[in-house]
Amino acid sequence: MLFAQILVNGVLLGGLYGLMALGMALVWGVLNIVNLAHGALIMLGGYAVYFLFTGAGIDPFAALPIAMAGMFCVGYLLQRFLLNLIVRSALLNTLLITFGLDVVLTYLAQLAFSADFRTINPSYAGANFTLGGITVPLARLAAFAVALLLAGLVWLLLNRTRLGRAIRATAQNLVAARLYGVDPRQLYAITFGIGAALAGAAGGLYGVVAQITPYIGTSLTAKSFVIAIIGGLDNPLSVVLGGLVIGIAESAGSLYLGPTFTDVISFGLLVLILVARPARSLRTA
Amino acid sequence: MKRLLAMAGATALLLGLSGAAMAQGKTITLGAAVQLTGSLANTGRYYRDAYQLAIDAINAKGGVKVKGESYKLALDLLDNESDVNLGVRQYVQLVTRDKVNFLLGPFNSNDALDDSSVAEKYEVPMVEGGGASGQIFARGYKYIFGTLPPADEYYRSTVEMLGKLDPKVRTVALVAADDSFDVSVAKGTRKLLEKAGLKVVVDEQYRENSGDFSSILSLIKSRQPDAILWSGHEPEALNFIRQAKSLNANPKYFYSFTVGVPTADFRTALGKDADYAFGMTPWLPSERLTDEWFGNAAAFATLYRQKYGYDPDYHAASAVADVETFVKAIEAAGTLDPKTVRDAIAKVDFHCLYAHVKYAANGQIDLPQTVIQIQDGKLVAIYAESLINKPLYPIPPWDKRG
Amino acid sequence: MLRWAAIAAVALLLALLPLYGDAVTIQYGINALLVAVLAQAWNILGGFTGYASFGNSTFYGLGTYGTAIAMAQFGLPFWTGLLLGAALAMLCALLVGIPILRLRGPYFAIATLGLSAALSALVANLDIAGRNIGLILPLTRNDTLFYEASLALLAAATLAVAWLSASRFGMGLIAIREDEDAAAVMGVNTTLYKVVALVLSALFTAVAGGIHAYWITFIDPASAFDSTLNVRMVIMTVFGGPGTVLGPVVGAFILSAIYEALASSISTAAALFFGIVIVLAVIFMPRGLVDLGWGFRRMGPRYLLETVRQYRL
Repeated sequence: MLFAQILVNGVLLGGLYGLMALGMALVWGVLNIVNLAHGALIMLGGYAVYFLFTGAGIDPFAALPIAMAGMFCVGYLLQRFLLNLIVRSALLNTLLITFGLDVVLTYLAQLAFSADFRTINPSYAGANFTLGGITVPLARLAAFAVALLLAGLVWLLLNRTRLGRAIRATAQNLVAARLYGVDPRQLYAITFGIGAALAGAAGGLYGVVAQITPYIGTSLTAKSFVIAIIGGLDNPLSVVLGGLVIGIAESAGSLYLGPTFTDVISFGLLVLILVARPARSLRTA
Repeated sequence: MKRLLAMAGATALLLGLSGAAMAQGKTITLGAAVQLTGSLANTGRYYRDAYQLAIDAINAKGGVKVKGESYKLALDLLDNESDVNLGVRQYVQLVTRDKVNFLLGPFNSNDALDDSSVAEKYEVPMVEGGGASGQIFARGYKYIFGTLPPADEYYRSTVEMLGKLDPKVRTVALVAADDSFDVSVAKGTRKLLEKAGLKVVVDEQYRENSGDFSSILSLIKSRQPDAILWSGHEPEALNFIRQAKSLNANPKYFYSFTVGVPTADFRTALGKDADYAFGMTPWLPSERLTDEWFGNAAAFATLYRQKYGYDPDYHAASAVADVETFVKAIEAAGTLDPKTVRDAIAKVDFHCLYAHVKYAANGQIDLPQTVIQIQDGKLVAIYAESLINKPLYPIPPWDKRG
Repeated sequence: MLRWAAIAAVALLLALLPLYGDAVTIQYGINALLVAVLAQAWNILGGFTGYASFGNSTFYGLGTYGTAIAMAQFGLPFWTGLLLGAALAMLCALLVGIPILRLRGPYFAIATLGLSAALSALVANLDIAGRNIGLILPLTRNDTLFYEASLALLAAATLAVAWLSASRFGMGLIAIREDEDAAAVMGVNTTLYKVVALVLSALFTAVAGGIHAYWITFIDPASAFDSTLNVRMVIMTVFGGPGTVLGPVVGAFILSAIYEALASSISTAAALFFGIVIVLAVIFMPRGLVDLGWGFRRMGPRYLLETVRQYRL
């Protein structure tokens, strides 16, 4: 019974993890930018939903699309006017500039929102139901469902629309993308915008199950990193699967090995997977 | 050639950092490097604001008297950006370049552990109100004094109270983070529980800064302890409570947290879910705690709230005690010589808005914790040596609350 | 000739600093020198072979803990501790180098990052390393010793890189950076070359960690395996000029001077300006200071626009 409960906990946690990594994997796979500011974008999304909820009284799940639209604009502008300037230089430079961006965003967030802990706490945040002796938290279940839904939508977008085909073509090579008649500068900005919007959604859901401060970004970036690698960069659904693997491994590991070992588990798993499957990693790089 | 110029420039910049000493006049400067930004900024602000408020109040009443001459206090405050290594360098800067007279401490045990080495190295006394871990005071340092009670004693009053409540608590789940402070708490608590004859059925340590407690909570649910004693950091406490609610994980009668419960932030973040949580504080803004400069602790709390827009907690009061310690010691010593003042600090014995301040031989103050509980959104003192107010006990399970 | 004379003069000036600098300058000096060592050590692998490690804090942490365990747990002298730390780090580099150096590009970067995080978490669970509580080292008041040791270490690392850039071994590393498969075809034993470079990098990084541990007197896993350190050493190298001899040193000196000056003057806004400096540096000098120097000599301020034009979309 305990094991079943741990499994459920892990799956629900993993769904949220997957959503966190989704935007990072998209930007990485298509634009070849490893976005170290991804966690900061998640944090901003969390604040957006928080203020929509506490300020305007909009239900957090209803506020998600609004926050996503806002974050899309933020992402679009960042890529269009900043990251596009360096996107063709060495990969290291994209790491550095997004690191700088992360520092700036974190600082500005503290200035604007203070270091207070914020929680998005609608009346149903702690609600749960019991199924055959297993307690299922509603908010986490809903977050899980939203994560799956968004991953599905991204998959549809990439595989079934003209824009998506153009984006995927860009990932292969820039010249091919021009054949679709889309300005690559726009395309890059739109892709990064979608990544930011997904980060925003993850932030809102994160605020419902945990708490938001200006400093949550770094650890969320690291987590997204790991999951994006484990899931792979080419398919949004496999990213969510990567999230599930980590979620389950962490909950089971913290029960059977002790909670101080969760980081050993997820990062150890990462190194093992990289080393054991270099062929696949090379292909997607 | 450009390369050489660049290198020379860098060297010059490095050397150029050595500026002139600050003009002194008739002031005594207290220096501190505190977390104003970064992950600990939320608690760091108590120290910034309380140090300043205490210094302003003391100056308004004529400052410090040294052999008949009156000195004003000044504060030299730097932001260590929640970076332990930067904090160490800033303390050296405060001592050697800014030539501050004495040092006030940072927040957090790990910071105090590193920064106290600077005080010891340069033989400048530091009084800190932000680090409670026993490690700080176990190194035989002479120049470090602390106004937080020892970490291993945090749960003493709570365990004592549990013995007097009905229904009786017999089994306990102990959950603690794995950093210096919380390990000290857990170690001390295990001893206290053993002495009181309580059985520890869950004893879990978690990695600090981890956000997920669902495994520990599921374990607690399956073992059904009577009480949960929890020790960690405030954001983790928030996560623990919210996840306990969403998993409907309950102890039979009681849960308590080492941090968070006394701070206003904790109550606003959790709303109604904060109710019933027990905690502890070495300080409450009571009128019975009289003070030479602020009148009493309640007046201090009102003034603090007016000025900074949030309620002070024990961090702030402890910071005020640090500043007042220096005033008392300097006046007793009648000189600004760091060694003489250090000996005077070891002998101070006075009552202030924080507590009865008197340092033990290792430099740490001894102070009992008052058990507190959040009742209907308000902080209520429950127990210190005897019951003060009626506790809401046993705590109702999550699914039975309105 | 003039160049060598100038370098010698700067080195002498730095070596004699304890005679004329005050305590703070020495304090900041130790820090600047140690991060310069980290940047230079990163440069050996990252700058020459193009394998960007984001986990050199693994070796820093092992050096730190090697020294701390030797001194705090066994009461051994400092120098023995340094040796133990260096040996641990080199052994680790040797063992993990072979599997992870097969990975390329970002995958190598992330494997190293993961390694450092996993090791940090592992150390936090070891009794001999004081678990997550950390270890306390004895206090010494001899900052001059730390300063000179750091300077000597930086000199050693820089000389090693100078030798590297002129040697056959260094050529092999550069060949790997330019085209690894071609290098292999030409007869370069790429695995051996990369592993040796990683071990060398680990050696200098670990000794820097050991010196820092004794100087700061208290260490815990979070500070020993500090992940921001990984990013900082990369930034400093890339800022100065990766794959050059003096670039990483100059980059480290300039960036630490800016950072410390900001942190001690405007204090709270320091982080913001530091972030902005990094963003601007990447945009206007994506190939580092050394390249900026050459470019300016060739075409003046037009260089800035040219680089932006070259790398923008």
